[in-house]
Amino acid sequence: MLNSCADAIGILLPNSYDSMVPELVRERLMGAIPFAGSYRLVDFILSSMVNGDIENVSLVVKENYHSLMTHLGNGREWSPSGTGNINLIPPFANKDSIVYTGRVEAIYGIIPYLKDRREKYIVMSDVNLAVNFDFRDLLDKHIASGADVTAVYTQEAIPRDLAELPADTKNLYYTLDIKGNRVTKINVNSKKRGIQNLAMNIYAVDRERLIQQISEAHLQGSIYYERDILAKQMDELDVRGYCFEGYVARIGSLRSYFEENMKLLEAENEDALFGPNPVYTNSCDEDPTRYLSGASVKNVMAADGCRIDGEVENCILSCGVQIGKGARVKNCILMNDVVVEDGAVLEYVIADKKVIIHAGKELKGTDTFPVYVEKGRSV
Amino acid sequence: MAKEIVAMLLAGGQGSRLYALTQKLAKPAVPFGGKYRMIDFPLSNCVNSGIDTVGILTQYQPLILNEYIGNGEPWNLDRKNGGVHVLPPYQSAKGSDWYKGTANAIYQNLSFIARYKPKYVIILSGDQICKQDYRDFLKFHKEKGAEFSVAVREVAWEDASRFGLMVTDDKDRITEFQEKPKQPKSNLASMGIYIFNWDILKKYLEEDEADSESENDFGNNIIPNLLQDGRAMYAYRFSGYWKDVGTIPALWEANMEVLSPEKSGINLFDENWQIHSRTNGRVVHRIGREAQVTDSMITNGCHIEGVVKHSLLSPGVQVEKGALVEDSVIMGDTVIKAGAVVRHSIVAENVTIEENAIVGEEASAADSDGKEKLIANIGPDVIVGKGARIGAKAMIEKSVKEGEMIC
Repeated sequence: MLNSCADAIGILLPNSYDSMVPELVRERLMGAIPFAGSYRLVDFILSSMVNGDIENVSLVVKENYHSLMTHLGNGREWSPSGTGNINLIPPFANKDSIVYTGRVEAIYGIIPYLKDRREKYIVMSDVNLAVNFDFRDLLDKHIASGADVTAVYTQEAIPRDLAELPADTKNLYYTLDIKGNRVTKINVNSKKRGIQNLAMNIYAVDRERLIQQISEAHLQGSIYYERDILAKQMDELDVRGYCFEGYVARIGSLRSYFEENMKLLEAENEDALFGPNPVYTNSCDEDPTRYLSGASVKNVMAADGCRIDGEVENCILSCGVQIGKGARVKNCILMNDVVVEDGAVLEYVIADKKVIIHAGKELKGTDTFPVYVEKGRSV
Repeated sequence: MAKEIVAMLLAGGQGSRLYALTQKLAKPAVPFGGKYRMIDFPLSNCVNSGIDTVGILTQYQPLILNEYIGNGEPWNLDRKNGGVHVLPPYQSAKGSDWYKGTANAIYQNLSFIARYKPKYVIILSGDQICKQDYRDFLKFHKEKGAEFSVAVREVAWEDASRFGLMVTDDKDRITEFQEKPKQPKSNLASMGIYIFNWDILKKYLEEDEADSESENDFGNNIIPNLLQDGRAMYAYRFSGYWKDVGTIPALWEANMEVLSPEKSGINLFDENWQIHSRTNGRVVHRIGREAQVTDSMITNGCHIEGVVKHSLLSPGVQVEKGALVEDSVIMGDTVIKAGAVVRHSIVAENVTIEENAIVGEEASAADSDGKEKLIANIGPDVIVGKGARIGAKAMIEKSVKEGEMIC
């Protein structure tokens, strides 16, 4: 393929919205949360960028990024061409550096890098969305329109997780007022009911303009790109909307984490998320999953390396899960290497990595309140 | 940079006794055990044994094999110094030639080996299912002060005449080599895995090449020549799991053994000796609401809505509602449509078994009498039409029409 590289670099913010899922990010960040069996949340947007020929992607992290580093390794899983460059950028350790809360601070930290690049455009996103997004199309539309900024949104009612945020939250979400395809107003944490233009926090921007905007905004002590730059400069900037109509899983609480995983047990949802373009991950190099004579399995999504000898229904199993004889596991998400011993009974449980449920134990949550068992615990 | 040992992996064979399975790919590329291909075993053994320089000699239908090996990354063999190299026959100023025999294949690549200035060269075969630590073999070779060693395994005396046998003295030194003899003097069968001192290998290959009468084969030419010259030759006994899967029944049986590692001794689930393989596509598999899966191995990208019993499914296999797969090996991306039945079969890659077709037959009493098992075999890319019936010992290479019957 000639000229396959897009004229853009990517920026990802893997810590955004961490505080909405405190249980899941105790030892990791949003981007490293296991999702849909073998994937981590970061895989979706990162693969989307790579599939859009954006192969230089910087992940600007602020804390708890060890598991993400391990997952990304040298990044080659996300570089089909072999020429890509996946950088994980930890906070710079000098006395002026800050641990960011908003996009302005995060991007300010990498301005020297952005200045060195030659690509004309930048695409940026959080990673709390599992989505198969066409960045090539976004860039094409952005370039064709000549807009300063193109903001991606979905048309949906404000999801429960966002609508229930307290008034003093630092987790901001945005809805867009749109005329034609121009964004005329950005609303912060709007409680308006009904279908809205809900921002996905995915943007295409001109690199040099972003550098200038961020540098100025930082001088003024601004934190949030949308609230403090875009919303305030609405009259001077040409901001366009880009409506995304594909499948989106938004993770904003333990409950939505549970529900969005379970939704993927419907083949049409799974195909909608994984169908359009490949989603890359650092998959476990394990043997095939083994089903023994006691296995009774219905409606299950499982990764490799599992060993199943019990009853499993409506479950998502990551790599290396073991389910013993006579165990009954229903409506559960079991992460890597979880062991459910013989005869144990689980319902509506999210078991983090390496949890052990001892023989004969019972653990039950409900559909709206799944029980979460933290990493490495024995029950 | 110099390497202590370089591995040369013979992967050029057709494996003609696998019939339809190897029409489009070399035997070492044949899928095995769900997500593996045969060549994963020697490659993983190399890496796990600390051998990081491997030449793979290809000849017959190399496309799929080449693509699969790629840069060697799944086996951690994408190295700046060493790593895996695919070595097809090539053209030179003196002309070009196909690999005439196993010895000639190595001879044509002496310059590859020479680049690494090794002390030892291990010759491996790309089509054996075996987990072996080559470090133990090399240690034996050094301790014996050998110039040539061959890995052997003990076989039953009544089967011995089917193998190439090493007759040894009480110190494991080889005194005689018998190729498929009527009257075996030994029950130590060659596994076709050799360690040579590099200078000896080079000398004997060059001499062998100069001999126009030679078949250029390790077993028929090189080993007899070494014996004749009284070289220090030793037999290394290996007692772990080993399987030559050269025939359809043997391939089927070895796959079935993977399903019961407790009985068969081949444990693919060993964290200390992992077999690596290249994976592509979706990394999870799905089991539907009405599915039934027991005693089976299922891997990434599979989608099961029907019944799967005592079978191995490679990546991307689909089994639709009401379909039954039993005692079978189903290779990558094959689709078994609604109501179809597949029993006692090996079905190759990208096959479509249309609705209500029947492939193979239930295990009959004949199986337990020790007779050769009847395994139906469907070649790659074949379409078996709606309602067609494929008999228990059929070998299918071309698509089968709707309703057709083949015994």
